[in-house]
Amino acid sequence: MDIKIIFLIIIYSILIQNFVLSRFLGLCPFFGCSQKLSSAVGMGLAVIFVMVLASSITWILYTYLLDPATSVMGFLATDGVAPDLTFLRTIAFILVIASLVQFIEMFLQKKVPPLYRALGIFLPLITTNCAVLGVAVLNIDGFSAIGLDGKLTFLQSLVQGFAGGVGFLMVLVLMAGLREKLELETIPESMKGIPVAFIMGGLMAIAFMGFSGLSI
Amino acid sequence: MQRTIVQEFTKGIGSENPIFRLVLGLCPALAVTTSLENGLGMGLAATFVLLCSNTIVSLIKGIVPPKIRIPIYIVVIATFVSITEMVMAAYAPDLHKALGIFVPLIVVNCIILGRAEAFAGKNGVFRSVVDGLGMGTGFTISLCVLAGIREILGDGKLWGYPVMGQSFEPVLLLILPAGGFFVMGLLMAALKMKDMRTAAMKRTQAIAEK
Amino acid sequence: MNITKLGFILGIFCVSAAFALSAVYESTKGKIAYEKEKVMQEALRSVLPEAKNIVLTTSPDGKEYYCGFAGDDTDVPPVGYAIVAAGKGYSSTIQTLVGLAPDGVIKGMNIMYQQETPGLGTKAVEIKYGEKDPWFQRQFIGSFGDTVAVDKDGGKIQCITGSTITSRAIASSIKQEVEWMRSKAILKPVQE
Repeated sequence: MDIKIIFLIIIYSILIQNFVLSRFLGLCPFFGCSQKLSSAVGMGLAVIFVMVLASSITWILYTYLLDPATSVMGFLATDGVAPDLTFLRTIAFILVIASLVQFIEMFLQKKVPPLYRALGIFLPLITTNCAVLGVAVLNIDGFSAIGLDGKLTFLQSLVQGFAGGVGFLMVLVLMAGLREKLELETIPESMKGIPVAFIMGGLMAIAFMGFSGLSI
Repeated sequence: MQRTIVQEFTKGIGSENPIFRLVLGLCPALAVTTSLENGLGMGLAATFVLLCSNTIVSLIKGIVPPKIRIPIYIVVIATFVSITEMVMAAYAPDLHKALGIFVPLIVVNCIILGRAEAFAGKNGVFRSVVDGLGMGTGFTISLCVLAGIREILGDGKLWGYPVMGQSFEPVLLLILPAGGFFVMGLLMAALKMKDMRTAAMKRTQAIAEK
Repeated sequence: MNITKLGFILGIFCVSAAFALSAVYESTKGKIAYEKEKVMQEALRSVLPEAKNIVLTTSPDGKEYYCGFAGDDTDVPPVGYAIVAAGKGYSSTIQTLVGLAPDGVIKGMNIMYQQETPGLGTKAVEIKYGEKDPWFQRQFIGSFGDTVAVDKDGGKIQCITGSTITSRAIASSIKQEVEWMRSKAILKPVQE
């Protein structure tokens, strides 16, 4: 049963409920970083890395510090029951993500300068990528479509982070490929650039809707 | 050239409209605009956060060390987003349920961090408030336009009330994610067409004046 | 400015933020809990209109359901029961609150949560122009809870066009819960 759930999370996160085309997460980089294939791949891989790390760290933080049921902060309260700190979720998660991206930036700058230069401004922008904070919150809220109504387990959260990132990378690469091809086509002046990208996004979304018929 | 106060406000609605000009804040723009009520709710919530964060960021700009300004801005914004989350859950629970994860996601709405960094951190409190109001209003109006179109054509209703009559068969696609992309793309194309026309008129005027 | 001072300043901001948030949390948590409870109460009242007093009960094996009483006295037999039936639909777990008479006949229904495909599965909660209640759910009222099934499974409930999975999920989840209640002798046995 557990393996089946993992498999379902992967299939759903990449295809059936794709983070970009179905959940509307990560749209800014989807339209902002998809003009060239190379930047799309770079951004996509970086996002996968951040999403996996963010999923794990935020899950641990939530489970052992915020959630009263599993928190280790019991010593703070007079009756031994840990305080309900779940209202600090948003601020804690975004600080974790911002710090994570900062550390990655510093690490790359020191150890892998070419990659740091290639990613350029896109790296700090990952902090504001809805998909990263989104997956951290989704891990806590559950995955109703496959029957997981409560918080995901640690492994499930990692898998959702990874698969969500892969789905993001996939549609980013698809979009970049399409946009590079579109550069050579004649399209009405008013549609060039962002408008036609949105239309293509819509067509991709329709195509991905076909996956929702997948029954496992 | 210093902008006037009125210009500070109206730029957020027109020339620097966050969604249609700056192309920021796309995630909520497409996700919650399935009904006018949700679009307006999200717009007002984001405007509230933007106003509060611009105010605080402008107030503390003297004491914030530049090296850690971004994390501090994030703390400020996240605090107001969490406050909005809790107040919404208490006093507008239906809206809170409808907007779902996009309420906490207001904290990564590029508009808010963008204005804090680009404007509130460098300008006085009054101007920052006006800037926040303008940007927020522009964001809200854009969301309402998107949501209005999608709800009327995709559901036959406006604010939950049927407005298209009984024989209208709604274009369901518009309520689905794909529809959001299409409506946005067409609106952007229409805007670009208007821009091209204005630029062409200006060119003919300039030539005529020579 | 050295890193300790920077960290200290950031720390001050974080602590102030935490204080502000705790204050707002304390002042809203009562209302939030009340709203949550209100949703459940309203749903219960809609599926068990004759019951003035609805009480949450736990069965010996830990399952929760609701008993509806006509008045404050809870020692008399209940005038109705309510239970939440959860069934895996197309893209979400559909949660239906179903109100039952003591003999197991469905008196009322309220789909409390669903995230099905708009225009297809969501027709389960659709109210037609000019009508007062969802047409799909009206079909359940009056039948014995353990006999409801969609037409494709030999029952009397007409499926939503294009949403067999959604329709089936609702019907079978209700059937399953009523059968459980029957097996635990909560409901009276069916008169032959």
